[in-house]
Amino acid sequence: MRSVRPRRWAACLLLTPLLTGTLSGCFAPADSSDPKADSTGGKRLRIALAFPPSESFSPYGADATLLSRLGVTEGLTKLDGNGAPAPALAESWTQEDARTWQFTLRDARFQDGTPLTGAAAATALTRAAQASPAPAALSGVSLTAEASGERRVRVTTATPDPALPLRLAGPSLAVLSPKAYGKQGAADPVGHATGPFTLTKVDGSTSAALDRFDDYWGGRAQAPGIDARFIADGTARANALRTGEEDVAEALPFAQAASLAKGTGREVPTARTTSLYLNTASGPFADPELRAAARAAIDTSVLAENVYEGYADPGQGIFGPALTWAAGKRQQPTGRASAAQPHGATVRLATYDNRPELPEVAQVLQQQLEKAGFKVTLTVRESSRVEGDALAGKFDAFIGARNTMLDTGDPVSVLASDYTCDGTYNMARLCDKNVDKAVAAADALADQDKRRDAAMAAEARILGTDAVVPLVHQRNILGVSTTVSGVLLDPYERTVVATGTRR
Amino acid sequence: MSPTPRSLISRPGPTALWRAVLAAGVLCAIGLLPWLARTDPALTVLKARSADRDPTPEALAAVRDRLGLDAGPLRLLGRWLGDLAHGDAGHSWISGSAVLPSVVQALGVSLLLMAVALTAALGTAALVCARTLWRGAAGRPTGSRTGGVAATLASLPEFLTASVLATVVGVQLGWLPALGWYGPQWLVLPALALGVPAGALLGRLLGDALPGAFAEPWALAASARGLPGRRIARQALRRSFPGLLPNLGLFVVGLTGGSVAVEQIFDIPGLGRLTLQAAIAQDLPVLQAGTLALLLLAAVAGGAARGTARLLLGPVLRDGALASPHRPGPPARSPLPFAYGAVLLGVVVAGLPRDPLALDTAARLRPPSWAHPFGTDALGRDLLARVGHGALTTLALALAVSAAALLTGVVLGLVPRVSGAAVDTVNAVPPVLAGLLVAGVAGSGPYTPALAVAAVAWAPLAAHAGALLTQERATAHLAATRALGAGPLYLLRHELLPAVLPPVTRHALLRLPGVALALASLGFLGLGAQPPSPEWGLLLAENLPYAERAPWAVLAPAAVLALLGALAVSAAGGVRLPGRRPRRGRPARRRSRQQPRHPSRHPSRQPSRQPEPAAPAHGTAAPGSAR
Repeated sequence: MRSVRPRRWAACLLLTPLLTGTLSGCFAPADSSDPKADSTGGKRLRIALAFPPSESFSPYGADATLLSRLGVTEGLTKLDGNGAPAPALAESWTQEDARTWQFTLRDARFQDGTPLTGAAAATALTRAAQASPAPAALSGVSLTAEASGERRVRVTTATPDPALPLRLAGPSLAVLSPKAYGKQGAADPVGHATGPFTLTKVDGSTSAALDRFDDYWGGRAQAPGIDARFIADGTARANALRTGEEDVAEALPFAQAASLAKGTGREVPTARTTSLYLNTASGPFADPELRAAARAAIDTSVLAENVYEGYADPGQGIFGPALTWAAGKRQQPTGRASAAQPHGATVRLATYDNRPELPEVAQVLQQQLEKAGFKVTLTVRESSRVEGDALAGKFDAFIGARNTMLDTGDPVSVLASDYTCDGTYNMARLCDKNVDKAVAAADALADQDKRRDAAMAAEARILGTDAVVPLVHQRNILGVSTTVSGVLLDPYERTVVATGTRR
Repeated sequence: MSPTPRSLISRPGPTALWRAVLAAGVLCAIGLLPWLARTDPALTVLKARSADRDPTPEALAAVRDRLGLDAGPLRLLGRWLGDLAHGDAGHSWISGSAVLPSVVQALGVSLLLMAVALTAALGTAALVCARTLWRGAAGRPTGSRTGGVAATLASLPEFLTASVLATVVGVQLGWLPALGWYGPQWLVLPALALGVPAGALLGRLLGDALPGAFAEPWALAASARGLPGRRIARQALRRSFPGLLPNLGLFVVGLTGGSVAVEQIFDIPGLGRLTLQAAIAQDLPVLQAGTLALLLLAAVAGGAARGTARLLLGPVLRDGALASPHRPGPPARSPLPFAYGAVLLGVVVAGLPRDPLALDTAARLRPPSWAHPFGTDALGRDLLARVGHGALTTLALALAVSAAALLTGVVLGLVPRVSGAAVDTVNAVPPVLAGLLVAGVAGSGPYTPALAVAAVAWAPLAAHAGALLTQERATAHLAATRALGAGPLYLLRHELLPAVLPPVTRHALLRLPGVALALASLGFLGLGAQPPSPEWGLLLAENLPYAERAPWAVLAPAAVLALLGALAVSAAGGVRLPGRRPRRGRPARRRSRQQPRHPSRHPSRQPSRQPEPAAPAHGTAAPGSAR
């Protein structure tokens, strides 16, 4: 009996290397790339992204933004620093009539070697328009595209769309090579895009590897490649940056900003506005005087300074300071009601916890409103479980962080969807003739400057109803290691790396 | 001689059938989830794909159309099951990619993590009961005194240990990688975070059973015969282990599917995260496949646990020849429970006159001072006040849930053949899914979270009770009592329950802090305590992001929770009614024939006067002693 045991142990020991060999298959593949400098002197960039690809890099959903941020895809146009459409794959464009635009393409190649032609661009746009569900940038728009020359593409919309060049800058309208499109409507961007980096390997929702695209029309990128990791937990992303495992970490939580090394936290003002939407259709806030009382009770500077730890600006309007053009055009809200005494009116306030600061904002607002004489009950849930109820009017007030540029970069579209009678995301359930009229007037204008003026006039109208109280304009914290240079700080959250990014 | 007691060896046919019925029930329930919860899956799927996407009617209709949701739940479920028969688990509703490869990959990761975490747990358990073993081997068995430290460790929420380990060891000291999943060294921290609390709990349960084993006649006889203490200790371990095995089996499954927080903090692509995401997004194919994998694992782990128990106990179960494992006597009365209780009460009383809701954002994250003895949280609220005010609701609800779970667990533990499969099934269901299912059935009323937690909390208690009962039923004294004409009710009241209740109650109390945390963890589904309520679980969760900058904000709720664990366990040492010392004060006449373990209940060892031969050094724990 006794002699058996040692032998058994010996067998186990012999098995160990075998087991570890099999086990190694259970780990995620480590970055295969050589972290040392390549022949040109650059090193691969290591980026921690917050959102994993949710639809295996389908270019029509949220993953489109991911592709655009990693420098994989490009559209015909892009947004410049001032939010105006700028040339990207299209060198220039002209409006032929109210519904028709002609785009002239530049001399570029796809990452699979095929040249960018009018036919390729037309295919890409047509496939995007046929996608189901339609890309957000195309919601409510019906679009056809056809090649009108070797390097020309003509885009026609069913109804006049003055914002079309802005729309085409949306990441979901990126142009992919004809080889990218399979039979079943799916599009595969791996190796088929035009950007400075090309996807080489995707490991589920864990990581992705990209190589530099040497024939990029804008010149070869300085970094030989990118190793992207998707780390959902904000603290974990911050930790990755602090341990030096990653060079760039996006969307760090405010709570972690203080623990970052000096100079690594870069602030990016964004078009995201956190607002309090008051239910104008039912409940206590159907009364404009109570809405005015709520607005008067709220001190937004406390939120910006303390909850957001200074990484936000106090609410100025629906459009915040990240949109540089908005500052000079802002008008005073008109037609505001005078505040009445709430007399203990009960308010059901709801928000979601997918952004960890929102429950804190809600609790501060709760106290401020209660000081003014309201009684406030709070509901905090996961966003898909609270938004529907909020849109259905089950709460009296809702706090949400809204990207005011949506996918279009057009200020009018957010006003139309959020504050008009037919709006699809009308949290305040506002239906006001004057507002509708002002938004419609803005939507009819083609000239960018006039369109923006009209949008700001509509904003003043909306703020005049007190249906929405802008709380803060959020800044993102982009963690960038001190060894990295050339990272883009984009208020539209569409780009991070470019050809000049290196370490 | 004696009628053969029910043994562990049950007929496999009906049990397997019952197990299959339960598994099918769970899968059907998942298939019906969106319709039960009245939450549109098109909306949750759309939001999971893109958080910023507006839920316009067109977009929702497109998703619904794409997924074929209009066919209704039954058709969808039928189609999924039909495809499963061909080895196709469908395609994810979110990403559209095939489910099976992603679930298999995540399962592999989780199994590896679980295996290492279990090793860490066993190490911790060994440390926890090392003293008991040592003293037992040296012939000076003690009462179970492993209480305080183990209970404190066991009450540590794993998300707290994980984030502390990641920050301190991973980031600040830089000893081990803080996140990722690239090789063996990435395993260490997550495995510790998972394994230490689990090991503390297992160690506590083992430490509870060991003194009884040391006090059994064979141990005395072996010692009297001069066998080395080491060997006696080994046999005592072997004797106590089977009672623990079902819980070990549960941990195997629980750690594989339920370590969401640790997977999140260390960025591990495991099954817990996968099923959580699928549950929130109502991505039914992934959720069904993930749960099915866990159910299969549960069946395997449960079977392995039962098989091992049978192997360790051997024919004694069949022959009803087990000596009864009972503790040697009431544990030494210790002032510890009073000390713990006084501190806890002091904190609560000191907190009550303060305002737990008064915000002062200018005074956020202040360290402890005279004005704020526990410091302030991220909104400048006084933590002492919050801890004090949160105590009542937290404790009342957690106690109620624990009591209900204990009752259910013991009752179901009495019928192991029915409950065995149910325990495995319930334990395999991811906690969030259980919450969603209960909420779907019961609506989102104020008691839903309590129901949801109670619906799963009974499982480990039932497993424990079942294992102890099986052993108890196989004891010689029970056979004798039965031979004397005692009916089943008499046996239950006077023999079985008194033997099983104390350890299972201690187990339930050990899990009390966990219950409190579980209650708070369902908050994001809109169930249970909502901010600004100072419920303890919520306190921990809301302050966790600030753990590095303001450790006190996490320390205060974690400390009271640990204190609660320590108090519960140390006080439970005396789950005896005053004036009634069970078993010891029994009328001797009823006992006179089966009193072999009488001397064993004395802490000091005496030369054995028993009729039985000493237990052989290896082999069954108390073989053939009744003959």
